[in-house]
Amino acid sequence: MKLLERLAKIDRRIIFLLVGLAAIIPLLIPIGLPVDITKPVQNVYDTIESLPEGSIVVVSVDYDPGSEAELYPATLAFIEHCFRRNLRVYMMGLWPAGIALGNDALAEIAPKYNKEYGVDYINIGYKPGGPVMLLTLGRSVADIVNADYAGTPIDSFPLGRAVKTARDMSVVMTFSAGDPGILHWIIYFNARFGNVICGSTTAISAPRQYQYLASGQLIGLLGGLKGAAEYETLVDRKDRAIAGMDSQSIVHVLLVIFIIIGNIILLSERRKK
Amino acid sequence: MLLILILMAQGINVEAFDTPNDDGSSITIRWIPDTQYEFFQILRSLDPDEGFEPLAQLPGDYAEFIDRGLQSGQQYYYLVKAVQKEQETSSEIIGPVLPKAQIFDAGRANILVTIIILFAAILFYIAIARRGEKLYIRKIPALTAMEEAIGRATEMGKPVLYVPGIMDIDDPQTIASMSILSKVAEKTAEYGTPLYVPTSKAMAMTMAQQVVKEAAMKVGRPDWFNADNIRYLTDDQFGYVSAVDGIMMREKPATNFYLGTFYAESLILAETGHATGAIQVAGTAMPDQLPFFVAACDFTLLGEELYAASAYLSQEPVQLGSLKGQDLGKLLIILIIIIGVASRVFGLPFLYNLLNVQQ
Amino acid sequence: MKRTIPLIIVFGCGIFMLISFFIPLRWVQDTSQLLQTWYLGVIAFFVFIGIANIVRVNVNKIQRKLADWQYSIILLVFLFVMIGAGIFGGPEGGLFNYLFHNFQIPLSATMFSLLAFFVASAAFRAFRARNPEATLLLIAAVLVMVGRVPVGYWIWHGFPDLVEWLMQVPNTAAKRGIILGIDLGLISMALRVLLGIERSYMGGKD
Repeated sequence: MKLLERLAKIDRRIIFLLVGLAAIIPLLIPIGLPVDITKPVQNVYDTIESLPEGSIVVVSVDYDPGSEAELYPATLAFIEHCFRRNLRVYMMGLWPAGIALGNDALAEIAPKYNKEYGVDYINIGYKPGGPVMLLTLGRSVADIVNADYAGTPIDSFPLGRAVKTARDMSVVMTFSAGDPGILHWIIYFNARFGNVICGSTTAISAPRQYQYLASGQLIGLLGGLKGAAEYETLVDRKDRAIAGMDSQSIVHVLLVIFIIIGNIILLSERRKK
Repeated sequence: MLLILILMAQGINVEAFDTPNDDGSSITIRWIPDTQYEFFQILRSLDPDEGFEPLAQLPGDYAEFIDRGLQSGQQYYYLVKAVQKEQETSSEIIGPVLPKAQIFDAGRANILVTIIILFAAILFYIAIARRGEKLYIRKIPALTAMEEAIGRATEMGKPVLYVPGIMDIDDPQTIASMSILSKVAEKTAEYGTPLYVPTSKAMAMTMAQQVVKEAAMKVGRPDWFNADNIRYLTDDQFGYVSAVDGIMMREKPATNFYLGTFYAESLILAETGHATGAIQVAGTAMPDQLPFFVAACDFTLLGEELYAASAYLSQEPVQLGSLKGQDLGKLLIILIIIIGVASRVFGLPFLYNLLNVQQ
Repeated sequence: MKRTIPLIIVFGCGIFMLISFFIPLRWVQDTSQLLQTWYLGVIAFFVFIGIANIVRVNVNKIQRKLADWQYSIILLVFLFVMIGAGIFGGPEGGLFNYLFHNFQIPLSATMFSLLAFFVASAAFRAFRARNPEATLLLIAAVLVMVGRVPVGYWIWHGFPDLVEWLMQVPNTAAKRGIILGIDLGLISMALRVLLGIERSYMGGKD
C-alpha cells in the first residue's frame, strides 16, 4: 500500500512536529483528565500528614536544572504541604546546582504562609562528601554545618540550633535525579539512623527505586511528572504538573499510535516477502 | 572484650558496654524506655564518686545513647537519671566501662566470606587458564562487530567517534571503557582512521589521551595521534551532550561507540547518531539506560558485558579465566537466593539473619 | 619501571581500601578518608587542566580560522564571563545568578526535553514485533505508557494498578538480576585491575 510505504520512509521531523503539537495543544486547551493517586505517592502524603506540628522535615534538593521540569513542581507541592501543616523545612542538597532551585521554591511558597527564615525554614546549602558527609551529619550536624547557604552562622537561627542529630529529623524527603540521591539517603541514613526516607525522582529513575519501596527502606515515591501531579492533586495545588498531565497523556497515546503504525508497516513488509 | 554491667535500681534498667565493631572511641548506654518520664539525662565521669557531667538529654521514648569521642582504654562511669516533672529517679553508677578498638568488624563477616569465595572462584579459573586449558566463552555480537564497524569507517573515509561516558575515572565503567578504547585506538591507528574522543571530565581526557597515544605507538603509528581529537568539553551533562551532538552533525562519523556511564543523555546521543547514518555500538552498566541503547543502537553490550569486553577482546587465557570465575559467582548467588527465599517461606530466620549486614 | 610503579600503587591502594571496609581502627579509617580527600584534591586541580584544554583548542581554532571558528569566540567569552562573575560576585552574585537562571537552566531543560521527541522517533523505528522477545517488550511498553498517565485511568480504573504490579514485580525482579550480574562483572574487573592482569586502561603493551 502506497500510504504504508510513505509512512515507512516518513521524515522524522514530521514525527517531531506531531509530538510538539501533541505537547503544546493540551497546554493551551486543557482537557482536564482525572489524576489517579497511586500508593507510593499516597504514602508520602500520609507520612507528612501524620507528623505533629513543628516536626522537622529535611528537604534534600539533589538535582540540577536538567531535571527541573519533573522535580521542581514536586518540590513546590511538597514544601507547600509542609508549610500548610506547620512543619519546619530544613533544606540542603547533595548536588551544587540544586540549592538555587531549592531557594527559588522556598522564596515562592514561604511568603504565602508567612513563614520566617531561620524559624520555620532554613537552607544549609550544598554539602559535598556523599556517604562520609551523611554519616557524620546524622551523628552530629554541627560537624558538617556551621553556616547556612549564605554564610550566616547556623546557631544564630532557632531552627539551626534545633537540629543536632538525625534523631531531630522526622522525615527526609529527597528530590533526586541520580547519584548521589535516594540510594545514599537509604544506605547512610535509613540503615544507620533509622530515619524515614521518602523520595521524588525522574520518571526514568523511578523503576529502579521500586525495590526499596518493596523492602520498606523507602516509604513513598513520587515518580516523574505524574508523581508530582498526583501530589499536587492531594495537596490541592493546581500547578505545572497537573497542567502537564493532559500533554503527557496525549503524547503517550501518540507514541502508542506510532508503535501500532510501525508494526502494521512491519506486517505489510512481511506479507510482501 | 565486652564489659557489660546490668543494674536494676528504682525501675531504671541500664546497661553500658563497649560499642562493638568500632575504633574504640565509643560506649553504648542502653535502658528501657518509658514514656511516663519526660526525658532521660545521661551523665559521665572519670571517677565513680564525683565529677559527673551531663552528656545528653533524650526524650522518654529513647532507649539508647552512644557516647563518642572517647579515649580507648580509659575507664568511664555513667549515671542515668529519669525526669518526670519535678521528680528525678537515678540509676546506680555504672562502671568502669572501657572502650576498646576491635581489629575486625564482625558485623561484616558475611560480606568478607562472600568476597573471599568470589575471589577464590575467579582465581581458580585463572589458574586453570594458566595451565593452558581452553575455556569456552560465548560470542558477544557487539564486540565481534567492533572491528567491522571500524573497517566501515575506514572504507567510507570518515572518522570514528568514541564517547567514554560522562563520569570520571573513579567510576569502574569509565575504566572498562578506557580498556576498550585502547583496543579501538589500536585498530583505528592501524587503519589511519581519525578517532574523536570527547570527554566530560578533565581527568578522563588525560587518561584517554595517554591510552590513545600509547595505542598509536604500539602499532607503530605515532604520527597518527592528534591530541586535539581527544578533548575536554564540559562537566555539565546536557552541555556535554549538545557538544557531542554538534561533533556528530559536523564531522559525520561513520561509527559511534558509546561505552561507559550514561544517564538521560543516552537516547539523545543514540538518536542523533542514527540520524547521521552511523553504525552504533553501545555499552553501559546503567540498567535504566540499557533499553534506550538497545532500541536505538545496532549493537549493545548489556551490563556485565561491558566489564567483560576488555578480557574478551584481548583473548588472553588468564583474563578469560576471570570471566568463568565470575559465572561461578553467579551460580553461588542463585543458590543463596533460593536458600534465602526458602528460609522466608518455611520460617527459618537463622538463614535470613546470616545474610543480614550490619552497618 | 614506567608501568611497575603505577601497578604497585594500584595494588597497594586498592587492597588497603578493600581491607579498610572491615577494619574499624581509627588510623585505618583516617588513612582511608585521607586517600579519598587526596582524590578530591586531584579532581579539583584537574578543573584547571580542563579549562586550559578548552582554551588551547579553541584559541588554536580561532588562530587557524578552522570551520566554525566564530563559535569558539562565543564559547571563550562566556567561559571567562561566567568564571569572572562567580569569582568576583560569588555564587549568589547578580550576574552569576542571572546567567544561571536565564541561560543555564533553560538550556539544560531544553536539551532534556529533546528526549520526548527522540523517544517518539525511536519508538516508531524500533518497537516492532520482530520476534517473541521484541513482542513482549512492545506489549509491556504500551501497557506502561498508557497506564502511567491519566488517560489510562480514564480508559479503565484498574489500569494503574496493573502497571504498578508490572513495575513492582517483573520489572523489579529483572532489574535485580541485571544489577547482580553487573556487580559480579565489576568484582571480576576490579580483581583483574588490582592484580595487574588488566592493564589496558593504562595504554601501551599489555
